[in-house]
Amino acid sequence: MLSVCHLYPDLLNLYGDRGNVIAFLQRCRWRGIPVDLQEVNMGDNINFSQIDFLFLGGGSDREQNLMAADLGKHRDKLAQAIDDGLVVLSICGGYQLLGQYYRTLDGKEIPGLGILDHYTEAGEKRLIGNVAIEMELDGRKVKATGFENHGGKTILKDDVKPLGKVLSGYGNNGEDGYEGARYKNVFCSYLHGPLLPKNQELTDYLIKQALKRRGMEEKLTAIDDSVEQSANERMLKRLIKGA
Amino acid sequence: MRLCLSAAVAGGKLSSLMSKFAGGRGSSLPGVVARRIYPHALRELSTQGKKGIIMVTGTNGKTTTNNMLAKVIEADGHRVIYNEEGANLITGVTACFVRYSTLTGKVEFDYASLEVDEASFPKVVKEVQPNIVVVTNFFRDQLDRYGELDKTVQVVRDSLKELKDVTLVLNADDPLVAQLGVTTGHNAVYYGIAQQQGMERAVAQTRESRFCPQCGAELQYKYYHYSQLGDYSCESCDFKRPRPDVEGSEINITEGTYIAEVCHSGECSSLNLHTTGFYNLYNGLAAFAVGRILDIDLTTIQEGLKMYSPGIGRMERFRYNEKPCFLNLVKNPTGYNEGLATLLSLPGTKDVFMALNDNAADGRDISWIWDVDFEILAKHQQELEHFICSGTRAEEIALRLKYAGVPTTKINIIRELGDAIPAVLQGEGETVYFFSTYTALWPSQRILGSLAEKEGQHAVGMSSVS
Ligand SMILES: [Zn+2]
Repeated sequence: MLSVCHLYPDLLNLYGDRGNVIAFLQRCRWRGIPVDLQEVNMGDNINFSQIDFLFLGGGSDREQNLMAADLGKHRDKLAQAIDDGLVVLSICGGYQLLGQYYRTLDGKEIPGLGILDHYTEAGEKRLIGNVAIEMELDGRKVKATGFENHGGKTILKDDVKPLGKVLSGYGNNGEDGYEGARYKNVFCSYLHGPLLPKNQELTDYLIKQALKRRGMEEKLTAIDDSVEQSANERMLKRLIKGA
Repeated sequence: MRLCLSAAVAGGKLSSLMSKFAGGRGSSLPGVVARRIYPHALRELSTQGKKGIIMVTGTNGKTTTNNMLAKVIEADGHRVIYNEEGANLITGVTACFVRYSTLTGKVEFDYASLEVDEASFPKVVKEVQPNIVVVTNFFRDQLDRYGELDKTVQVVRDSLKELKDVTLVLNADDPLVAQLGVTTGHNAVYYGIAQQQGMERAVAQTRESRFCPQCGAELQYKYYHYSQLGDYSCESCDFKRPRPDVEGSEINITEGTYIAEVCHSGECSSLNLHTTGFYNLYNGLAAFAVGRILDIDLTTIQEGLKMYSPGIGRMERFRYNEKPCFLNLVKNPTGYNEGLATLLSLPGTKDVFMALNDNAADGRDISWIWDVDFEILAKHQQELEHFICSGTRAEEIALRLKYAGVPTTKINIIRELGDAIPAVLQGEGETVYFFSTYTALWPSQRILGSLAEKEGQHAVGMSSVS
């Protein structure tokens, strides 16, 4: 049995990002891998040792602040679980929150959870649009697409690797050509769309990491992914000449 | 002054004519031109009304409410002018007056009934003084993200505060709207829907605001109708759903007709709306409430509402051979969820068409379709024949259906609207239901209109008798 935990679905439920949770669950179910979903809301207890896949999204400023305050109470246990290889996907605001701090335009530093070694600075203009990236999974190069919409520019420090290279769009900060972050089994990204449904190779990779961590058989049976592929390819064709 | 106004009107009318020659729709263009020639054009045209100005704002239901309202006022024998569908920015509002104006800048009307975009509301009320303002609801649109909704509510509230001698007509079931009564201090009339029994609706995952607009505490709900609409109260302060002055309860939906009971100051009567969709009951109640404020008698309001027939994409009806077809514009998760509930409330088997575009007017980010509860479709598979997915992001809507649990054998991707629409009409289902985002709507309507027969008011009236 794999346990999926969606953090604050009540609070952070408006950007389509719950599609990531749906994709993880469905791709397990279609293969007969038993899976269950826990939705954790503000004030709830979280037992990280019972979780195999944790999803953390983002929200508006007010929602983001509430989330940060509540998650702050679980900070040490979450850091420990991540150290032990917990599989995490974190998008946009959640991505920023896992880092060291967020610096506002007037120079104020709002501390993050400080679990990953990256930080975010408010930018002058929002980075909005379709994105294509290339990442490496199990030694294979994989192209992914999505939609970004963020005011913050994120900069990775030494310990953190990017999730991928930007082929089209802005990515982390519109400057260094990187998108997202990767640290142990934590995957962070600015890509909405949502990310997992049409980037099924990443989804399957996350499922495999979760199975491996539980010592379960990690070989996945094949699924007909033609709809996923055509959705992804259509956007790649639009963004990259000759794709 | 007259000369300037007259030049502005003439310029506006001319531009409309030219743009029609050029094949454009040109509904706001006369407003753009008139304002450029004479910036006070709107102010001077709008003050010529004999009786009053009514504005309708909010996220969903503006067009329908405004059109219903116009029918009610017309039924009472008044001359009412109203803006065209979608032309609800300040230029569109100006265009409305220009269209009805003589070349000398005279416009004859008793009432003007205007739908006004929420973000344009402050600008419009600086030039046009409304006597009644209807606020339908506040939902997050696909276009605004990250706290934009809070800003929209605030903008509307602040500009309402500036107004004098205005009566508000507010949706009691939406906490974001109902708070405007207290926070603006204006006289308010509330409308709402009583608790419903045993109606299945898409599970509302997308709730905009569960927090008290007065104190920020979490709101407690006795029941939800959909999204954040329902019976709410705050445990930390005295904020709660106001008792509706006009309260509806759902009775019956037959093919294409909605029959509801509506109660107002202890008097209850039935309301026939030639449309389906639970959300349209709210629109009807808002029009009813305005009718009562204008002292229009009950029978006239009922007659007026009966005359309403839905505009383009507002559950617009067609008939292909013997098959009923419905065209439904979808812009945000709340509207889509309500559309799905309506689809499932129709009898018999259905074919479904879903067009998803990602042009600027649709919202370039299509992530919002993952906030729609398509999962409800998987539970009703036996009555759903095929899904034809179309538009610039056809694959994404197909993908969403797949992950909602709809079998892929029932999902087809046909990108071109011109190929997709004939295909879905030829399906096995007894009814065809069309969902379309904004920029796919006009082409879809045109193609559908060329293949199927548009059902007019008369035909709708007939079917409600049978
Ligand atoms: Zn309160």
